[in-house]
Amino acid sequence: MQATATKTAPILSTRDLWLEYSNRRGTVKAVRGITIDLYRGESLALIGESGSGKTTLGLSLIRLLPGSGRVRSGSILYEPDGRTQDILSMSEEAMRRFRWQEIAMVFQSALNAFNPVLRIWDQIYDTVKAHDGMSKQEARKRGLELLKMLQLDPERVIRSYPHELSGGMRQRVLIAVSLLLNPKILILDEPTTALDILTQRNIIDLLRKIKTELDLSMVFISHDLSLAAELADRVATMYAGSVVEIGPVNDMFYRPRHPYTVGLIKAVPTVTGDYRELFSIPGSPPDLVDLPSGCKFHERCDRATKRCHEEEPELVPVGDGHYVRCFSAT
Amino acid sequence: MARQMREIIWRTIRAISTSVLFTRLAKGVMTVFVVMTLTFFIIRLMPSNPIEIYINQLVSQYGMSFQEAKNMAASLFSIDMDAPLYVQYFSYLGNLFRGDLGKSFLSQGTPVSSMIAQFLPWTLFSVGVSLLISFSLGIFLGMTMAYRRGGILDNSLSTFASFVSSIPNYLVGILFLVFLGVRWKIVPIMAMRGSTSPGIQPGFTITFVKDVFFHATMPILTYVTTAIGGWMLTMKNSTVSALGEDYVTVAKARGLRERTITVSYVGRNAILPLFTSLAISIGFIIGGSPLIESIFVYKGIGWVLWSSISTRDYPVMQGVFLVITISVVMANILADLLYSKLDPRIKAGQG
Ligand SMILES: Nc1ncnc2c1ncn2[C@@H]1O[C@H](COP(=O)(O)OP(=O)(O)OP(=O)(O)O)[C@@H](O)[C@H]1O
Ligand code: SF4
Ligand SMILES: [Mg+2]
Repeated sequence: MQATATKTAPILSTRDLWLEYSNRRGTVKAVRGITIDLYRGESLALIGESGSGKTTLGLSLIRLLPGSGRVRSGSILYEPDGRTQDILSMSEEAMRRFRWQEIAMVFQSALNAFNPVLRIWDQIYDTVKAHDGMSKQEARKRGLELLKMLQLDPERVIRSYPHELSGGMRQRVLIAVSLLLNPKILILDEPTTALDILTQRNIIDLLRKIKTELDLSMVFISHDLSLAAELADRVATMYAGSVVEIGPVNDMFYRPRHPYTVGLIKAVPTVTGDYRELFSIPGSPPDLVDLPSGCKFHERCDRATKRCHEEEPELVPVGDGHYVRCFSAT
Repeated sequence: MARQMREIIWRTIRAISTSVLFTRLAKGVMTVFVVMTLTFFIIRLMPSNPIEIYINQLVSQYGMSFQEAKNMAASLFSIDMDAPLYVQYFSYLGNLFRGDLGKSFLSQGTPVSSMIAQFLPWTLFSVGVSLLISFSLGIFLGMTMAYRRGGILDNSLSTFASFVSSIPNYLVGILFLVFLGVRWKIVPIMAMRGSTSPGIQPGFTITFVKDVFFHATMPILTYVTTAIGGWMLTMKNSTVSALGEDYVTVAKARGLRERTITVSYVGRNAILPLFTSLAISIGFIIGGSPLIESIFVYKGIGWVLWSSISTRDYPVMQGVFLVITISVVMANILADLLYSKLDPRIKAGQG
């Protein structure tokens, strides 16, 4: 692991990105001013409770915000080889080609990720046909190769319909399909949440293998810090739509500075394979339509002072590549 | 050697009898048999019988005396109406197995089978064309509504669809007849009577095909109007739910073209629930055909049924009910097979 040493240029960056949804009660401020870089070859974990905006941020990177979702302000820059592309101002057709070719995404609810009436092969070929550059034979060869890499029986799986595969198999097929076009970035949104603990383990191991064997940058979304620790070079904790702490995985684990990160780590059981209790942090996340004043965590924070109620802290450096958004940490 | 033969025969029998198509067909045959038996008895339980009706006609129309009329009727009807019902039933069954559907009591004793051969094609044609049009148009409009849900187009089409699907089809038929045909004289309703124009040469010529469609226009228009609303609404709902499926989002993330997503991801899945209603719809349209065909004097099997009911022409009624039942059962099996072809999760004949 070359965690902190990855001081290459970023391949993907967001600049002061604000994302929102509308619902009956008003505007849901799902992502509030996130500025974050993904470096070439690194794997960055986004962790946080349910509703903290992880999926929203992930989807915005390929411009697939669901329903009423939209970008309020900010930019997303893609810089694969010196050139800079502004993702938010690309044309629809350019965006369509961009998806999966440059950034692929493995979804949170992968059990229904495949069209139930088409065989896996048809869906592989659909994907290839939508982007030029690979013949049918090449697509088949590449598909089989990847399925094998994910420890599936390639010939059988490629002929199967989705319902003939188990949940864990489907998840692995989706990961294989995500690598089909050799994307430069892979976003994994809680790729193991719906699976049992053994299958989870198996998929994490496979992802680790992929990470070392392929030249990929990864964004790994999870609410489970221990899983993130196994895969990530850097970890960012998200709370109420913003990054509250970011740093190299070891710093985050052994020297967490934000009370929220500290809480998340405490919630992780020490014995591996033990039943994972979710979060033991008291209280619940704030209402994103009507946000509290000051630090968004102050209602649940045992270190909160008067200042925390009035002012929202900035993200400030506390170590090499380690930043925290908290008054008590600086 | 003999044992081997036995083994092979036994295995073949087992394979056939457990095949889904076989069970499906066996069920179909059972249904036809039960419906046939029921109609046999129900028809004969109807008040008054063909002889009485015929006698009454002779008396009132030609001023014959009752006795005269009775003698004449007796010579015309060669059946024994006084035989016990079960005897009649078994003799009917026996004839049926020999492929003999009997002869019409009236119409100079025309064999029922030749009447069916003459009139059934027109009904199958008009019903088939109506299904094809309403199904494909309904799917297209339903999908359009789903893609533009909430807009003006969606709202007006939804209103239209719920309105037309709530009116019974014979009422629509009568309204068309009265307004389009009689009041506004938009369609030449008199010229459209019958299934073809008199004296036209049958064959695959443009004139003949045009003529066939010309005569079937009103029944088709009526069937399509009443059936399309249901298709539109069902298709809209299933498209809306398909659009919200994860695999559609994933397909977008895979960078598939909009067209591919609309056709093979959204459309193909949204259509599936419609196949369950397809079978019901076929039965519905065919069931409505006697009324519709008599409203427009379209000479199909429904029209034959309608006129045979009023004269209590038992063999004709019985025969027509039989072919209608067989058509509906066959259409059901077909819809089922089609469904299982389209949805790999379903094996043919399940459910
Ligand atoms: N389609 C939508 N319409 C309206 N609000 C939405 C929509 N999708 C998400 N939200 C809201 O945006 C906020 C962030 O949701 P998001 O799914 O990004 O969270 P998450 O961190 O991925 O949570 P989880 O761990 O549950 O997946 C939530 O408050 C959620 O209610
Ligand atoms: S800023 Fe204050 S309230 Fe917020 S996390 Fe730090 S100490 Fe707690
Ligand atoms: Mg999520």
